[in-house]
Amino acid sequence: MQNKDKSIILNNLKESSAKWVNGQGPLSDIVISSRIRLARNIEGIPFSPRAEQAELKNIFELSQQVIEEDSLFQDSNLLLLDELTPLESQFLVEKHLVSIYHAREKRPYRGCIFNQKETLSIMVNEEDHFRIQCLLSGLQLNNIWKFINKIDDEIEKKVTYAFSEKEGYLTSCPTNVGTGMRASIMLHLPALAMVNGINDILKAISKIGYVVRGFYGEGTEVMGNLFQVSNQITLGLSEEEIIDNLEKVNQQIINKEQKVRKDLLSNSKNQLEDQAWRAYGILSSARIISSVEAMELLSKLRFGVGLGIIPHPDLGIINKLMLLIQPAYLQMLAGKDLDPFDRDIQRAVLIRNEIRH
Amino acid sequence: MLCQICKKKEATITFTKIVGGQKKEIHLCKDCASTFSDKFSIFPLPQFDINDLLADLLNAIDLYHKEEGVLPSKKIECSNCHLTYDEFKQSGKLGCSVCYHDFREQLTPLLRRLHGNSEHVGKIPLQSKGKLNKISKIKQLRKELQELVSKEEYEKAAKKRDEILKLEGVLKKKNAK
Repeated sequence: MQNKDKSIILNNLKESSAKWVNGQGPLSDIVISSRIRLARNIEGIPFSPRAEQAELKNIFELSQQVIEEDSLFQDSNLLLLDELTPLESQFLVEKHLVSIYHAREKRPYRGCIFNQKETLSIMVNEEDHFRIQCLLSGLQLNNIWKFINKIDDEIEKKVTYAFSEKEGYLTSCPTNVGTGMRASIMLHLPALAMVNGINDILKAISKIGYVVRGFYGEGTEVMGNLFQVSNQITLGLSEEEIIDNLEKVNQQIINKEQKVRKDLLSNSKNQLEDQAWRAYGILSSARIISSVEAMELLSKLRFGVGLGIIPHPDLGIINKLMLLIQPAYLQMLAGKDLDPFDRDIQRAVLIRNEIRH
Repeated sequence: MLCQICKKKEATITFTKIVGGQKKEIHLCKDCASTFSDKFSIFPLPQFDINDLLADLLNAIDLYHKEEGVLPSKKIECSNCHLTYDEFKQSGKLGCSVCYHDFREQLTPLLRRLHGNSEHVGKIPLQSKGKLNKISKIKQLRKELQELVSKEEYEKAAKKRDEILKLEGVLKKKNAK
């Protein structure tokens, strides 16, 4: 564990860009990132929402001990959310390090552990004692599973997990019990959105037990044509089966997106070029821009770059911008609270600087 | 019916979603529906709260129990954290690991509805491996056996059955010790 105070940790986090954003993983033109999270609880202690203060403290200290003693966590940081301002908590949400629920909950001793590359994070005392999550760029759930499985084993050397032979890993909500595993893939589907093909796909996959969410997970809006597809079923399937099924479903969506992209390219290349270059034009010269407009244009630009009809910026920069332009991130970078109008100005400056490199 | 978003105007548009055979509907007025679909440009999934779905499921299961005459008349409560079953039904969250044991009779049908299954077959904590490993292996083999039988691959199925019997034999010996 890196022993630093809160302001240094947050400062570093503000300057660094998460590895999963780099746009270099498999199928990065369509798949932004893959993610797995495991819900784990410690035997003998009520789940966090029902635990006493002393028990929550106990869990928090256990997590501290785990990351202090284990070499796998030597470059990790630990933040106590009670000590953060609402803006700082929201910044962690925008960084995809904690859930919205975790940031807004009032319970004491909520923690956030994360490594330097921001590929691994652990929410402490969320709805479950530990929510371990790993994020990587592109489509690579199997690699994530190998990694997170190892982390899980390592933590288990220090604690005894609540587990039953029948129901598996026991969790606060019965929708997570069993493997405690939620795997998800973040897709960028501008072509399907253009031909109004999203609706049918979403209907079809929700019928077979998958959920679609927005950019920031549960309860968030869809923006920039980004969709997060994840498994609903956690019990009665092995982790490998869950991953395999999810990849198959996503592969089908990816195939459809690829096909529509190809069709559009052969039938409406001029329109696509126009759309991408206009987006580039506005993004590189606007002086005031809202996050909704910016996300829409970044989506169009990303589409153009993915199709190879516009040479720059690279996908990594566009992915990064999709995070940077969010309200809390923007204010963290500015080092002060900004009202919505000032944010729109600041956002335009930031985009211009990143895009013109 | 009033619109579920503005709660002022008459709802004229209905969105429907089906998950695991459960139908959920959201009723909106024309204005809210148009901003709704503008904003999301997709089917409005984020608006469906998993807890609502859970509560509906739980009530459906209770009703089923009542009809079958198996609903226990006494108040069920977790012996460890004292969460009552009614509290669980409201929040959709269990209180502690013992709840799973004490509410098992009620939970099993719920888990089956939620997951299509009520038994774990995945990873097992290192600490309880040995024995549990074999149990999970047997469960997995049984599943494969069923698949083979349904595909009418009887020769392969017979081999699976022998494998299961062998593993069960090892377990019995271990338990006897």
